[in-house]
Amino acid sequence: MNPTPSPSRRDLLRTAANGFAMLPLRSLLAAGDPGDGSRGRHHPPRARSVIFLYMDGGPACQDLFDYKERLAAEDGKPFALPMEPTQFQNNGNTLGPRRPFRRHGDSGQWISDWLPHLARQADRLCVVRSMVADFSEHTNANYFLHTGHGLQGRPSMGAWVGYGLGSDNRDLPSFVVLNGGLIPPGGVDCFHSGFLPAATQGSIFRMRGDPLANISPQQADAPRQRRKVDLVRRLDGEGLAHDGACDALEAAIRNHELAFAMQRDVPELCDLAGESPATRTLYGLDDEYEPTRTYGRQCLLARRLVERGVRFVELTCPDTGHDRWDQHSKLDRGLTDNCRMIDQPIAGLLIDLQARGLLDETLVVFGGEFGRTPFAQGTTGRDHNPFGFTMWLAGGGTRAGTAYGATDDYGYKAAENPVSTHDLHATMLHLLGIDHERQTFRYGGRDLRLTDVYGKVVAPLLA
Amino acid sequence: MSAPSRALATLLAGAGLLPAQGKPFDLAARKAAHWAWQPLAAASPAPADPDRAIDALLGERIAAAGLAPAPEAPPGVLLRRLWIDLVGLPPSAESAARFLADPSPAAYDREVDALLASPQFGERWARHWLDLVRYAETLGHEYDFPIPNAWRYRDYVIRAFNADVPYDQFVREHLAGDLLPEPRRNAAGDDESVQATAAWWFAEQTHSPVDPVQHSADRIDNQLDVLGKALLGLTIACARCHDHKFDAIAQADYYAMYGFAKSSRYVQAPIHAQDVHGAPFDRALAAQRAVAAAWAEAGARGTPQWLAPRTTPPERWSGSGGVGPLRAGDRVIASTDDPAAWIVTNDGFGAEPWRGPWCPDPTAEPAALHLLPGAFWNTGPAGRHREGNLQTQTFRLDQRYLHVRAAGRNSRVVVVVDGFQVVRDPIYGGLHQRVDRPYAHWLTFDVGQWRDHPAYVQCIDQVAGDLADPDHEGDSSYPDDGWLAVQAIVASDERGPPPADPGLALPYRPWTATPGGVREALQGLAAAQDALPVSPTLPALCDGTGADEHLFVRGNHKTPGQLQPRKFLTALAGAEPMAIPRGSGRLQLADALLAPDNPLPARTLVNRVWHYLFGRGLSRTVDNLGVLGDAPANPELLDWLARDFAAHGWSIKHTIRRVVRSHAYRQDSRASARGTEVDPDNLLLARQNVRRLDAEAVRDSLLALGGRLEDALYGPSEPIALAAVEHARGEPERSGPVDGDGRRSIYLAIRRNFMPPMLQAFDLPTPFATIGARSVSNVPAQALTLLNDPLVHAMCARWAERLAGAAAADQDQRLDAAYRAAFLRTPRADERASCAEFLRSTATDLGVGIDDAGPWTDLLHCLVNTKEFTYCR
Repeated sequence: MNPTPSPSRRDLLRTAANGFAMLPLRSLLAAGDPGDGSRGRHHPPRARSVIFLYMDGGPACQDLFDYKERLAAEDGKPFALPMEPTQFQNNGNTLGPRRPFRRHGDSGQWISDWLPHLARQADRLCVVRSMVADFSEHTNANYFLHTGHGLQGRPSMGAWVGYGLGSDNRDLPSFVVLNGGLIPPGGVDCFHSGFLPAATQGSIFRMRGDPLANISPQQADAPRQRRKVDLVRRLDGEGLAHDGACDALEAAIRNHELAFAMQRDVPELCDLAGESPATRTLYGLDDEYEPTRTYGRQCLLARRLVERGVRFVELTCPDTGHDRWDQHSKLDRGLTDNCRMIDQPIAGLLIDLQARGLLDETLVVFGGEFGRTPFAQGTTGRDHNPFGFTMWLAGGGTRAGTAYGATDDYGYKAAENPVSTHDLHATMLHLLGIDHERQTFRYGGRDLRLTDVYGKVVAPLLA
Repeated sequence: MSAPSRALATLLAGAGLLPAQGKPFDLAARKAAHWAWQPLAAASPAPADPDRAIDALLGERIAAAGLAPAPEAPPGVLLRRLWIDLVGLPPSAESAARFLADPSPAAYDREVDALLASPQFGERWARHWLDLVRYAETLGHEYDFPIPNAWRYRDYVIRAFNADVPYDQFVREHLAGDLLPEPRRNAAGDDESVQATAAWWFAEQTHSPVDPVQHSADRIDNQLDVLGKALLGLTIACARCHDHKFDAIAQADYYAMYGFAKSSRYVQAPIHAQDVHGAPFDRALAAQRAVAAAWAEAGARGTPQWLAPRTTPPERWSGSGGVGPLRAGDRVIASTDDPAAWIVTNDGFGAEPWRGPWCPDPTAEPAALHLLPGAFWNTGPAGRHREGNLQTQTFRLDQRYLHVRAAGRNSRVVVVVDGFQVVRDPIYGGLHQRVDRPYAHWLTFDVGQWRDHPAYVQCIDQVAGDLADPDHEGDSSYPDDGWLAVQAIVASDERGPPPADPGLALPYRPWTATPGGVREALQGLAAAQDALPVSPTLPALCDGTGADEHLFVRGNHKTPGQLQPRKFLTALAGAEPMAIPRGSGRLQLADALLAPDNPLPARTLVNRVWHYLFGRGLSRTVDNLGVLGDAPANPELLDWLARDFAAHGWSIKHTIRRVVRSHAYRQDSRASARGTEVDPDNLLLARQNVRRLDAEAVRDSLLALGGRLEDALYGPSEPIALAAVEHARGEPERSGPVDGDGRRSIYLAIRRNFMPPMLQAFDLPTPFATIGARSVSNVPAQALTLLNDPLVHAMCARWAERLAGAAAADQDQRLDAAYRAAFLRTPRADERASCAEFLRSTATDLGVGIDDAGPWTDLLHCLVNTKEFTYCR
């Protein structure tokens, strides 16, 4: 077992960038950092990296994973259970699933016909049908899902993971957001470092143009850039020689080097030209539907990032023109296009990770900030529902081919083994080797953590 | 693995840091046990010379450690440090030439005084304060709605720092600037005091929360959190759900403070408050009466015909509020019969209801008079150029409908439920109605969804200005195009409004002709109204109905406990209840918080000043002086500074001057070998700290070197260049230029979801709570910014042009000029050689002359990428 990080070490890390860049090189070496992320772990990990497939807007789980016979049978009838207040208060009749469901794989998971590719991966999924969250409104719910707190300003789970484990790749950030096009309500603060060191915040890679802000040299001329970087290094070195050593300055010099390395490596990383035609097909990179191609690129890049040691990769959704998964109306069309966008790329990602031996050490998480009501909003939509919804996990030490928890007969509220957002966070951290109660950061007079004062590891989800 | 944590708990408990299980909360014992609550101690012995006190108090500990203070920093290093710290800019060429020629102590003092007197001082130090109040121009969340005119608060803070407003006055204005019997006015007569209260409205807010009570509780929690941290260095908000785990703050204290915020409301307050009994106002009313008289005279002459239906004698109109006979179950919430039922916040509605019966329509073209029978609160006669704001007391929504009798143009009536002010679709849109008919009519609100919730009604003679007004982009033009008259508000279970008094049901007719005499009277009215002072507005507090709050058991508003009468913290003000004659009681709160025996405001402030000048406070946790904060490294010095500060009129400039004149501030930052060994973290301050420039200073320095820095002060915020930010909901409509029009960074728009990327890369915090100590991160994004940001390139190119234009063609002289501008020194021989070689090879590669702009732009770009540029030694 790896040793518990001591408070003094945590103090050091507090001022660190990428976990350590603020530390001068010599003390880094002296500290004997193994550089494999083990210093923030409390127990042996099952997963090294996380890929979070964030379904912005709240997918209708009754239409995708949570099959309810009774809901289907009472389609169009008045809803039989008392209704909680909803955001639009325009509650209609019971709305049954809009596509047939079937059992798939040896595990017999229920999956809707809307997701044919994913259905073939049923035996890899660990489905949680009893998620509950605290908020009915997008922004609070997004902050809650991402940071464990309903208001702006707390660190994102990717930041917490990077804070604890650092990056396995010193030339890349520990937390990368692959932005398909839609930044969720709440903005980039969903990916922020909050009070944690700024280096832990999500670096947002765009799918079009430059992947990263200021990553492309203003001058395309590489030797010219190199010469400038060389001069800066020489002048900085001469300055240190003249004025004496200084930790902060040395760390800044190192960051300059890292920036230059990223300027070189990130465009290469994002260049998918070297991928085989089979891989392209697997991820749907040549699909005729543009959002599928974009999401396929994101999934493939996610694999390339975890291959290179990036700790936490989050994917936001491309725009299908239906306001994310937020189907307040026209549920059928919205789900049709959204499922088309994600189905093949996600299936491809699972297959590819497995084929490369990466699935065991990569935790894939799928889900949105809440689910949707089993009764209609108006006649063709569903309103927000945080009382019971589905997320699924795959790989990374999770129990494949299972379904855990259950909602009531209508897929409305969690009825069996409810799993809170805090529980999900605790479980994710656990799989990464982190005890969610012990990974804390002193801020504003409190030892704060991702799970606030809540959360428990959901043991039945673990392999 | 439970053993270590138990051991740790024992350790903490032993140190008094953890209450033993089951031990009752003992506020007095906690207060007695912690340094921050204690009175400011007099230094003993008192330093003989206050000018040397800082060095004397630091010196004892330095000497005790066997160290000696570092020598004074070289003049160039010192002057750059002073400029960056005091005004956030690199030294001007004149100042540099002057000081490098004569770096005497007297010359240094002159530089200090000049910088403290310069307007750029306020631009620098206001930004520190904005961090403390989580200044923002939008509400964040899904749509990032604007907070209209928030930027005026930023200008208020700049003016206040430049004017060196005594800090106790500054604090008083933040707590109760809207209530001061004698508000502070500037030379133009503007009310400065009220502007401070805008800071309460920088709390983030969402729209359409399903539980508005919870939402208001979260907003107030943030307001109390900021109040506690910014003004007192206390984490009051930690007592929301239970007694504070560590500090002498009971949960009851939290809810006693909660009532102050709950009893206060949002308004757009006029900056030019006018006396509603004063001459310009009287002249407008008199001119209005003259119009009515001229009109009556014209009517008496038989023109125009439509006056005929007037059958009710005028005395009856003016004697009644004008509400017709009520039906069974109707309840008058407020009417002009009872002025006490209203809160007339702004001056537009005047001192008393208008009893027309005529009212001009200032928005009509050509001018029109409307018949307005009865008594109306009315901004038509004298509310021009300003926002009128009329509100009810808080009442309970015990019936399904609210009927509001009103007339007006481009105005609005808003029902605020549970203190929730972001009144928008999808849930709350129906609580907001436009008034756009110039004759008396009823507006009906269906409030059935909020039955039994507390509410109040705001009547405002403007369309724009709501918190979260998406149509309002925060420009400086005041939307002076509305008027509003309100007569009564009736609660009812009937969907239809009460019938109006038939005797008063006069037909509406616009006046479009101009009979003799009326034309002149109207011209007189127009002149009198034009003479009313224009009053821009900004978000502010006003007093609502005073109300205490129940303690929320475990912080849950659904489980109310005992009512907690409003009062300041028990540990500082005792257990006695606070006498609050009326309203919110914030004036009394300000008195209690600023009581001479409260050591925290002065201690907190001087500790912050120290932080800004040394990169670290005497207590490092500048926003938390509580038990979990950092005990001061030098408590004698902290208290000496606090007493000196209070004794010198709470002058922030005085304390800054004290500190920057000390040797401690002026000393070199290089560590001696022994210093590194004995005091590696420089806790004793036997040298200055090496500090990174903060975000604004980095960007402003680039603008200064590029000769692009505008020295204009104040004004609406500069939109950021959208190309650099991610697309998302609430995206600003306008994109700004890459160089922000050369404006200093403090003027860049602070939109929560669209923060200026360059400033963020250098740790400008996302505003959500008090940030007294920004993180100083060190991330590749900073280097990437300096390597590739278009602004950096543009400034280096401009700088190269300026050098070519100003300096002689001689390469050495040009290099000297560049180094002087950036670093206040000439290059050393090794640097000169490196630069020369660089220029040579770049020029060769580019196929241009060595004096060409290309190689020089590259060279200057290298200089701003060296650490000497982003750090102060």
